Amino acid sequence: MDFKWDSEQQSFRATVRAFLSEHLPADWEALAHGPGSAAQSTFSTKFCGALATAGLLVPHWPQHWGGRDADPWMAFILAEEMWAAGEPRGGQYMNVNWIGPTLMRFGSEEQQARYIPPMARGETIWCQGFSEPEAGSDLASLRTRAERNNGSGYRINGQKIWTSYAGVADTCFLLARTSVGKNGISIFLVPMDTPGITVRQIPSIIGEGDIHEVFFDNVEVPKTAILGAEGQAWEIVRTSLSLERVGIPRFALAARMLDRAVATLKKSGRFNGGAIEQAARAKAACEATRLYSYSIIDQRKRGLPPGPEASAARFATVTAERLVGEFVVEQLPDALAGGDPLLLAHHQRAIVAGIASGAAEIQLNLIATELLRMPREPR
Amino acid sequence: MDFTLTSDQSALTSAIDRLATHFEAMPTDFYGFTLAGTQLEKELTDGEYFDIAGIPDLGPLTATMAVERLAWLPCTAEIALSMLVRPHLATELPRPFAVIENGRPGRFVATAKTLLIINGDDIGVAHPSVDAVEAVDSLYAYPMGTFTGNASVTTLSGSDAANVRKWLRIALAAEISGLLHAAIASTVEHLSIRRQFGRSLGTFQALRHRMAECTVLAGGVRWLVLKAASTEDEGDAALAALHAQESATRIVYDLHQMLGAMGMTLEHPLHLWTYRIKALLSELGGRGGQAAAVAALCFNSEAA
Ligand SMILES: Cc1cc2nc3c(=O)[nH]c(=O)nc-3n(C[C@H](O)[C@H](O)[C@H](O)COP(=O)(O)OP(=O)(O)OC[C@H]3O[C@@H](n4cnc5c(N)ncnc54)[C@H](O)[C@@H]3O)c2cc1C
Repeated sequence: MDFKWDSEQQSFRATVRAFLSEHLPADWEALAHGPGSAAQSTFSTKFCGALATAGLLVPHWPQHWGGRDADPWMAFILAEEMWAAGEPRGGQYMNVNWIGPTLMRFGSEEQQARYIPPMARGETIWCQGFSEPEAGSDLASLRTRAERNNGSGYRINGQKIWTSYAGVADTCFLLARTSVGKNGISIFLVPMDTPGITVRQIPSIIGEGDIHEVFFDNVEVPKTAILGAEGQAWEIVRTSLSLERVGIPRFALAARMLDRAVATLKKSGRFNGGAIEQAARAKAACEATRLYSYSIIDQRKRGLPPGPEASAARFATVTAERLVGEFVVEQLPDALAGGDPLLLAHHQRAIVAGIASGAAEIQLNLIATELLRMPREPR
Repeated sequence: MDFTLTSDQSALTSAIDRLATHFEAMPTDFYGFTLAGTQLEKELTDGEYFDIAGIPDLGPLTATMAVERLAWLPCTAEIALSMLVRPHLATELPRPFAVIENGRPGRFVATAKTLLIINGDDIGVAHPSVDAVEAVDSLYAYPMGTFTGNASVTTLSGSDAANVRKWLRIALAAEISGLLHAAIASTVEHLSIRRQFGRSLGTFQALRHRMAECTVLAGGVRWLVLKAASTEDEGDAALAALHAQESATRIVYDLHQMLGAMGMTLEHPLHLWTYRIKALLSELGGRGGQAAAVAALCFNSEAA
C-alpha cells in the first residue's frame, strides 16, 4: 500500500498544470461562473480542441479512438486538475468520462463512427436526458414515450427537466419508454436540432445556462438512433453511471477553494478562533473524500467491478462540499458578493453536490443495504 | 498511489486477523467496565508483534493496520503506543507505555513501565516506580490510572517531541478507527435482529441513513490514518486525529441511541468500544488541539 505518486503520474500532473496555465485566459475565473452559458461553451470548445491536440482530452481511451490507453489514475489526475481549475472542459467532461466509453461498449459501428471521433477532437457537446418532472430519484418511473412509427423509426413525445448544457448541446443521450416497467426503457441518441425539440433555460441560483427543460413533440428519429437493444437502457445506464459517480473529483476544487479562502483570511488577519476550527474540519473532510475517491480508482485500476464504496465516496463528497461552502459563507462572506468569482462559482457548484447525478439520500440507502448489509426497506 | 497490500503486509495482517479472531470467539461473560486482555498481551508479546513497525518490509503502516484490527476486540491491552510510538523514540524503552497529559488520569498508567508526560508543548519521558502510579476506577473501558509525580522526567528536544506527538496522533486515530468499526458492526447486528412494529429496526430509513452516515465517516477516518502512517507527515497525522475525534463524537451518540436501553447495559458489549472512544476524545488537546495543529501544518500553500 502506497500513498505516493510515481514519477510518471507526477510528470503527467505537471504536464496538465502547465497546459492549464498556458491555455486558461486571464479572465477564466470570471467565465467559470455559468457552465453551459454560451460564453463558457464557446471557450470550452476551443479549450477542448487544444487539449485534444496536446493528447490530453481522452488519454485513457483506447488508441483506436484517439486515446493512448492511459490507466484510470491518469484519467483521474486529469479530472482532478480540470475540476480544481473550475472545469474548463465545460459539458465535455461527460463525453470523456462516460458517454464516449458507453458508446464504445454498446454502440453500433455506425454510431461509433459518427459520434466518437468528434468527441475525441473536442468538437461536440452532449446532454443527458434522464430526469423528468415526475421522475427524479425514481428514474424508472419516467414517462417520455418512444413509439414505433410505421417501421422506419420512432416518434418521441414527452418532457425532460434539469438537463444540463441542453441550450448548447449537439446531441442528447435520451432515456424514453418503449414499453412498461424498468426493462421497457431504451436509450436514443438524438441530435438536438431534430424538429420538435424545444429547449427552455431554467433561471437558477447555480449559474447561467446550467439547467433546462427539454420538450419532445412528435420528434421523429430513425431506428438507428437506438443505443443497444430496446429495453436495454437500465443495464447500460447502470454501467455508465458507475463511471460517472466518482467521475467528478469535487473535492479537488473544494480543497483548493478552502486553501484560497484561508489564505485570503490570513492576509487580512481574520484566520483565528472559530475560523480555524471550521477550516480544519473542512480540510479533514476534503482529504478523507480524496482518499475515498482514490480507493475507487484503485479498484478500477485493478479491474474490480464498481462496488458500494462508490456511494460512500459520493456521500463523503457531499459532506466535504458542504463544509467548505459553509466555511466560505460564514467566514468569508465577501466572496459571494463580488469578492472572488471562482469562490462564487465553487459555491454554486457545491450546493448541487447532494442532488445532481443522484440525490444523497439514495446513496445512503445503497450504503445501508450494500455496504452495511442491513435489511432492506419494505417497498 | 497503489492500495494493494504487499505480500508481507498481507501475511502480517492475516496473522493478526487469525490471532484476533481467536479472541473474538471467546465468550465475553463479563459485567464490569473494563475487559483487560491479559492473554492478548501475552500472545502479542510472544509473537513479537509489538516490533512490527521496525521491520523494514512492514513498517509503521502495517503496525497501524494491526492496531486498528486489534481495537475491534472486546478485550484491550496497551497496543497502540507500543506499536506506533515506542519505535520512534531514540532509545529502546520498556513497555507498556502510557501518556499523562497535563496531570490527568491516563490509560494503562498503573501498569506502565514508560510514561510520556505531556505538559503544554513539552513532552518528557519517565519510568515510574510501582508506588508512583495508582489505578483509578472509571467509566472508560480502559484500565485507568494516575501518576503521583515521583519520578525523574527526561524532557525531549523540540524535534523529538514533535515526532512523538505525530505518532501519538496516528496511534490515537488508528485506535479510534478500529473501535468505530467494531461499534458500528455491533450496532448493525442489533438493528438487524431487534424487531419493533412488526419489522426489524434496520428497515427503518431514519436509522439506516444515520448508520450509513456513520460508516462513511468511519471509512474516512480509516483512509486518513492509513495515509498518515504511510507518509509519516505531521499534517496528515493531525488531519487523521481531527477527523477521528470529530467523527467519533457524533458516531458514539448515534450508536447508543440505536440500541435503546440495551445500550446502557454492561451486558451488551457496545460500551467497551464507545467508552474507549470517549477516553480518546479528549486526548492530545481534543478536537480543538487537532484543529490548531491542522491550521498550523496544512494551510501553508500560497499557490491556491
Ligand atoms: C445542477 C443539476 C444538474 C442536473 N443535470 C441533469 C442532467 O443533465 N440530466 C438529467 O437527467 N438530470 C439532471 N439533474 C437532475 C438530477 O439527476 C435530479 O435532480 C436527481 O436525480 C434528484 O431528483 P429530483 O430533483 O426530482 O428530487 P426528488 O427525487 O424529488 O428528491 C427530493 C428529495 O427527496 C429525497 N428522496 C427521494 N426519494 C427518496 C427515497 N426513496 N428515500 C429517501 N429520500 C428520498 C431525495 O434524496 C431528495 O432529498 C440535475 C440536477 C441538478 C441539481
